Amino acid sequence: MSVEVIFPVMSEEDPTGEGVIGTWFALDGETVTEGQLIAEVQVEKVSADVESPASGVLRHLVPEEGTANQGAVIGRIE
Amino acid sequence: MTDTATSTGTSTRRLSTAKAISEAIAQEMRRDDSVFVMGEDVGAYGGIFGATGDLLGEFGPERIIDTPISETAFIGAGIGAATEGMRPIVELMFVDFFGVCMDQIYNHMAKIHYESGGGVNVPMVLMASAGGGYSDAAQHSQCLWGTFAHLPGLKVVVPSNPYDAKGLMISAIRDDGPVLYLFHKGIMGLVWMAKNRRSVDVVPEEAYTVPIGEAKVAREGTDLSIVTLSLSVHHALDAAEQLAADGASAEVVDLRSLVPLDRQAVLESVGKTGRLLVVDEDYRSFGLTGEIAAIVAETDPTMLEAPVARLAVPDTPIPYARPLERFVLPTTDKIVAEAKRLLA
Repeated sequence: MSVEVIFPVMSEEDPTGEGVIGTWFALDGETVTEGQLIAEVQVEKVSADVESPASGVLRHLVPEEGTANQGAVIGRIE
Repeated sequence: MTDTATSTGTSTRRLSTAKAISEAIAQEMRRDDSVFVMGEDVGAYGGIFGATGDLLGEFGPERIIDTPISETAFIGAGIGAATEGMRPIVELMFVDFFGVCMDQIYNHMAKIHYESGGGVNVPMVLMASAGGGYSDAAQHSQCLWGTFAHLPGLKVVVPSNPYDAKGLMISAIRDDGPVLYLFHKGIMGLVWMAKNRRSVDVVPEEAYTVPIGEAKVAREGTDLSIVTLSLSVHHALDAAEQLAADGASAEVVDLRSLVPLDRQAVLESVGKTGRLLVVDEDYRSFGLTGEIAAIVAETDPTMLEAPVARLAVPDTPIPYARPLERFVLPTTDKIVAEAKRLLA
């Protein structure tokens, strides 16, 4: 079973608006632990950290510097 | 002397330079109650370029202090605290702003130890952002490290990557004298500021030090020495890759500290390659490039197989317009062109 990594909802006015994956700190295929910092995302020049929701192997579904909507699935922990 | 990290071979945890600096400060604050942070927007905002991110939540407003816009007052307060035994880290938001508070910096922070006959230490870190390349114009884009390195009494460190940024910050905090710690905005790994590919890299989780005053060979080579620092290290490494494709082997020396300056590292590299290109994002005249050239000239100019080349900002304010700004900054293309000229 895999756990989804979600782009956090950061904007109250536009909670499904588009943002950018600024940095994948953990690489595609890397083993991560729950709570580990794995990414930094940005919406309208405001950035937020993304921590791993589970322990396992991280799969990127959106590349670094790629765009995604807030609330969207950007990765998976397998 | 070497840096004290022990697990670089095993750790794969990556951080941006901004987060590496913040982690260094947090680890020292946990270890030593006398360490605290002061400056404009260092608390809730986490520092304008992220160097104090996430600190307020853990340490609270008594130790992460947001100040009014009064650089003379809060740098002076930091100096006073340091003379009483605290270890303040004070952030001057942009190094360009030194003009309003320079008396505190160069007449007090830098001179109290001397003027007290060595009786009073000032164990303080003054941290500031530096550098351009993002159209922030003449008053927010300068490097100015040469200005401070010129004045006796301060150590000056300028990291180029996350690993050195963490180790140098810990060394600066533990140093018993005043240290000016300048980070270029382009190396911080910020999403909103033209992130450089080397600005996110492996950083050991434990606390470690990188010695102040020790340069590092960032890339070994045999035909030419490119001596530089900060963001220009990244441009020089990119240039070295291009030169390698053309069959030229460039060595890149990252100075990491300006005061003390690792003169031996410069001489060792130029002694090996016989050619010296100094690259600096600070102004050209009366600055770092001339100082590095003088090391070779004073020691043994016969080690040179070609005249020294210097690439720095011509003596003009940094323009706002992007094409004009690119024209004055030491970019990868210009480093490649200068290197080829030296090797011709």
